[in-house]
Amino acid sequence: MQGARRTARPGRQRLGWWLVAPTLVLLVGFNVFPLLYNVVLSFTNAELTGGERRSLGGANYGRVFRDPVFAGALRRTALFVASVVSAELILGLVLALALVKRFPGKHVVLTLLLIPMMLSPAVMGLFWGLILNGNYGILNQALGAAGLSQPQWLTDRDLKFWSIVLIDVWMWTPFMMLIALAGLGAIPPSIYEAAQIDRAGPWRVFWRITLPMTAPVLGLAVLFRATDALKQFDLVMATTGPNDASTQTLSTLLYQVVFRDGKVGLGSAFACTVLVVVMALATVFTRYIDRMQKTEAAA
Amino acid sequence: MNKLQSTWISTLLLTSLLSCGEKAPAPDAVGTDSKSGAKSAAKTPASQSPSPAAVPAPAGKQSITVWWFQWAPADGLAELGREFEAETQIAVKVEQIPLSSYQEKVFLEFGGSKTSFDVVIGDSQWIGRGASKGLYLELTQWLPTVVDLASIHPRAARYLCEYPEGSGKWFAAPCETDAVGMAYRKDWFEDAAEKAAFQKKYGRELRVPDTWEEFLQVATFFQRPADKRFGCAIPSDRAYDGLTMGFQNVLWAFGGTWHAENSNKVVGHLDTQGTIDAVEFYRQIVNLGPRGAERLDYGQVLEAFTNGSTAMLLNYFAFFPGIHKQFGNKVGFAVVPAHKGKRVASLGGQGFSISTKVPASQQELAKKFIAWFLQRKVQEKWITKPAGFTANAQILASPEFRALTPYNGPFADSIDSMRDFWNVPCFNELLSVTQRYVGMAVDGELPAREALQLLAEEKERILAEAGLL
Amino acid sequence: MKLLRWLVIAGYLFVATLPLVWMGLSSIKQRDATISANARFVPSLSAPVGEDSARFEATLDPYRQLAHVHAGARQSFWGHLKSSVTIGFLSTAAAVVLGSACAYGFSRFRLAGKQDWLFFILSTRFMPPLAVVVPVLIMYRRMDLQGTHLGLALLYTVFNLSMAVWLMKGFLDEIPRAFEEAAMVDGYSRAQAFVRVVLPEAATGMAVTAVFCLISAWNEYGFAMTLNSSGAVTVPAYFAGLQGNIEGMPWPQIAAGALVFVAPIVAFTVLVRKNLLRGMTFGTIKQ
Repeated sequence: MQGARRTARPGRQRLGWWLVAPTLVLLVGFNVFPLLYNVVLSFTNAELTGGERRSLGGANYGRVFRDPVFAGALRRTALFVASVVSAELILGLVLALALVKRFPGKHVVLTLLLIPMMLSPAVMGLFWGLILNGNYGILNQALGAAGLSQPQWLTDRDLKFWSIVLIDVWMWTPFMMLIALAGLGAIPPSIYEAAQIDRAGPWRVFWRITLPMTAPVLGLAVLFRATDALKQFDLVMATTGPNDASTQTLSTLLYQVVFRDGKVGLGSAFACTVLVVVMALATVFTRYIDRMQKTEAAA
Repeated sequence: MNKLQSTWISTLLLTSLLSCGEKAPAPDAVGTDSKSGAKSAAKTPASQSPSPAAVPAPAGKQSITVWWFQWAPADGLAELGREFEAETQIAVKVEQIPLSSYQEKVFLEFGGSKTSFDVVIGDSQWIGRGASKGLYLELTQWLPTVVDLASIHPRAARYLCEYPEGSGKWFAAPCETDAVGMAYRKDWFEDAAEKAAFQKKYGRELRVPDTWEEFLQVATFFQRPADKRFGCAIPSDRAYDGLTMGFQNVLWAFGGTWHAENSNKVVGHLDTQGTIDAVEFYRQIVNLGPRGAERLDYGQVLEAFTNGSTAMLLNYFAFFPGIHKQFGNKVGFAVVPAHKGKRVASLGGQGFSISTKVPASQQELAKKFIAWFLQRKVQEKWITKPAGFTANAQILASPEFRALTPYNGPFADSIDSMRDFWNVPCFNELLSVTQRYVGMAVDGELPAREALQLLAEEKERILAEAGLL
Repeated sequence: MKLLRWLVIAGYLFVATLPLVWMGLSSIKQRDATISANARFVPSLSAPVGEDSARFEATLDPYRQLAHVHAGARQSFWGHLKSSVTIGFLSTAAAVVLGSACAYGFSRFRLAGKQDWLFFILSTRFMPPLAVVVPVLIMYRRMDLQGTHLGLALLYTVFNLSMAVWLMKGFLDEIPRAFEEAAMVDGYSRAQAFVRVVLPEAATGMAVTAVFCLISAWNEYGFAMTLNSSGAVTVPAYFAGLQGNIEGMPWPQIAAGALVFVAPIVAFTVLVRKNLLRGMTFGTIKQ
C-alpha cells in the first residue's frame, strides 16, 4: 500500500485509466445503455416487428403487477432457486466431505464428477427429455422393469417442475462440491488434531469446526448458484418450453412475451421490475465479497 | 460504494419520468426502417429503385430465397424451382424450417432491416399481422395480372391470401391448401379377429369412424398399452399451434366456437357448453395414445403412427405422403369425424408472401417465380408432387386430382368444410393463451369450464388492447 | 466411517454418470434403437434378433452423420462447431486480455472511485441476459452485427469481463509489487516489467480465467438463439433448433455431437485443474 501511494503520480494515473478504460467502456455500453433503453421501451407499446410506437404511460407496469402470470413466474423462480440451491449445497457438501481425503484415483473421480457442469444445458436439457420420456425413456423403462410406477416426468403437472429441478441439481452439484472441497482443504489440520485430543465425536467436529470454517466459502457458492439459477432459461426451453404455466421462470416468461407474443414494451416493463430485484441481490453479494476481502486483508 | 449506486438508480428514475410524459418519437428502433406499416409496403418498390432494370445486375447468378417449414410439399416446391431455374436462369432456394420454431424465426427476421428470405410461405393465421404491420408486400394490383382470381378456391382466397377476410385486398398468392384429416391402419380394421372382438364388445361392426363418438370407441378398443398398441395419435404440442389445430376439429363439430359469429366478442361465446364438451372430449382422446401423448407435435404424431404402434392419427393431409410411402395399402385415409352431422376440418395451408424488407429487384424476381408457379400448366405439375395441394378450384374438383393418391379424395372432400383460427394481427398472442389454457384443461390442471372462462377474459383483454373489440 | 465415505462416492458417481453413459451408448446406435420401447443397452456387433432383445448393433454412423445437414439448419454440426470455436476462442481471448489489463489497472494504480467501479463491474454479472436482449438486438441491427460471429463474440466478451476482472484481480493482488518495482529500479520500463515479471506469474491465473470464460461462452444459448436466425449459429442453438423436426430428433447425432462438443472443455479443465479451486472462490482462499 505504502509503495503504491509513493509512486502515485499524475502520469502514472493516466496509464492506469488507459488500462481500465476499454473494459469500462464496453460494460457501460452493453449494460447501462440497454438498461436505460429498456426503461424507455417499458412505457411504450413497442413490438418486435416494428410499427408505430406510442406511449402507454404506466400501463405495462400495471399489467406486470396485476397479471398473476408475472407474479407466478417470480414465485416459481424463487422456489426453483431455493430448491436447487439447497439440494446442491447439501449434496455438494456431503460429497466434498467424502472426497476430501486423498485416495488413489481421486483425480479421475473428480474429473468424471465435474463433467455435468461442463455440458451445454440447452443440449443436455434435450437429452434429458429423451431420458425422461414417458413412453420410451430409459428411466421409465427401468422403473417398469423393477415393477415400480412410471410417472410422466415432463408432462405431469405436479412433477415437471421437479424434474427440471432434478436436472439442474445433476448439472450443478459438482460446482458446489468443488467449492466445498476448496473450503475444506483450507482448514488447518492442527485444528482437527486439537479436537482429537479433546475426544470430540465426528458429529461435534462437523458442527463445531468444519461447518463454521467453511461457511464463508459455502456462502459464496450459494450466492453464485442463486444468481445463476435466477436466470434459469436453457433447461426449461429444452424440456417443457416457454409457454408451460407450471414451469415458466422469469427468463422463459420474458422470452414468451417478447419473442412469441412480440410485446417488447410489456417485456421491458417486466425486465425492469426483475432488475430491481436483481440489483438488490447484487448489492448483498458485493457487500459480502467486500467484507470477505476485508477480513482476509486483516488476517 | 453507495455513491455510484445511487446516481445510477436516480438516473434510471429520471429517464423513466421523462419518457412517460412525452410521446415517443419515430419508431426508429424496433424494426429499424419500417416507419409505418402500409406506407412502407407501398413505398418500397418505388423508393428503393425506379425500375428493376436500373438495379445493377448482381455479379453472380440471380436467385431468390423462399422460406417454408419442413414437410413434403416443400420438397416438391424445390423441384419445381429447379424447372423454373432451367427456364429463366433464376435459382430458387427453398429453405425448410421446423414448424415449432418457424413463427419465431420468421418474425425475428421481419424485425430486422432486411430479411434473409425474399418470399415467405407464411402460415394462414399470420396474414393479418403481415399485412397490417407492413411486412408483406400488397399484391392487390399485381395478382390479377398474372392469374384469374376466380380460379382460386374461395376458402383459400379468404383464409390464405386476403386481409381482412373477403376484403379483396391481397397480401399473399395461393401456394398450398391443406386441412386436417385422418389416417388409419387399414390392416387392423380389416383383421378378422379384431372385427369379431369389436363386434362382440360393442355390438356393431368395426369400421372407420365417421363420428367422434365412433372415433372414441375405436380408439378405446385399440388402446392396449401392455401390447404396446395404442388407439390414436393427435396433435397436442404446446410449442406453436399443434394442440389448437388438433382441437379445432372437435371444437366446431361440437358446436363450440372461438368467438361470436359477426364480432370479436369472446366472453359468452367461448365459455359455453359446446366448447366445454369439446375440451373434455379432446382430453379423453388425447389420453388414448402412447404415454406422453399430451405433448405430441406434428412430427411426433407421425412418429407414433409410423413406428407401427397406433391405430389412427389426426394430422394435416400434407404430412401424409410419407405414411403412404411407408405403409402402402396397409393404411387408409379419411375426412375428420363429425358430431351430430357437423363436420369441420382445421384449415392449414399457406400463401406466398413477398417480404417488404428486400430490394425491389428481388421482389421482382419473386413475382416472376410466383406468376410462373400460378400458371395452369405448372399447377397441374404441382399436384403430381407429394401433397402438392393446389388452390385452383377446377383442378381440385377434377377426377384426375382425386385419382392421383389415396389421400387426395378425402382431402378434396374436406376442403369445403375448412375453417381457420383468427388471423387478426394479434393472432400470436391469442394463440399463446389458447395453447396455454386449453392445454391446462387437457392436462387436467384446471377444470374445462374454469380454463375457458379465464381464456375468454384473456382473449378479450388482448383484443381490446389491439383495438379489435 | 470409511465404508460410508466409499458408499457416498460410489453411489453418487454411479447415479451421476448414468446419464453420461446413456449418452455414450446413444451415440453409437441407430435412431430406432434410441426411441425403442424396449430399452436397448447392450452393444453388440450384429443386429438384435428379437423385438425384446436388450442388444443393439453398435455403429459409428452417428459420428459420421454429424456431417449431415438437417432440415432447419444450413450447415452440418461441423459448420456450427466452427462457429462455436471462432466465437468461443475470440471472446475468451478478448475477455482475458481486457480483463487482465483492467485488473492490473485496479490492482496497481490508485484510481478515483475504484471501489465504485469494481462494484459496477461485478453487478453486471447479475443481469439476466433475457432482460437486455431487446436493446442489444436493436443495437445490433443498427450496427449490422446481428447474425455475425463478431457480434456474439463481442457480447460474450462483455458478459465474461466482470468475471475476468475479478478473477484476475485476485491473482494479480497476490503477486508482490516489489517484483515489478525491483525490475523497474533495474532499468526496465513498466511495460517491460509487466511482460517479464508479472505476466509469467499471472499465467496460471489467466489460464483459469480462460477456462471459465470459455465454458460460459461455449454453452451460452439465450443470445445465440435470439440474435442469430441463420448466420453464426453455435452448437447449442443448432441442436435446440432441431426440435419439431418431422423426421424426429436425430438422437444419436445429438448424443455424439454433445460428446464431441464437451471434449475440448474437459481437456482444458484437466490442464488447469490444480488452479481451478482458487479461481472458483474469487481468490478468497489462498492455497
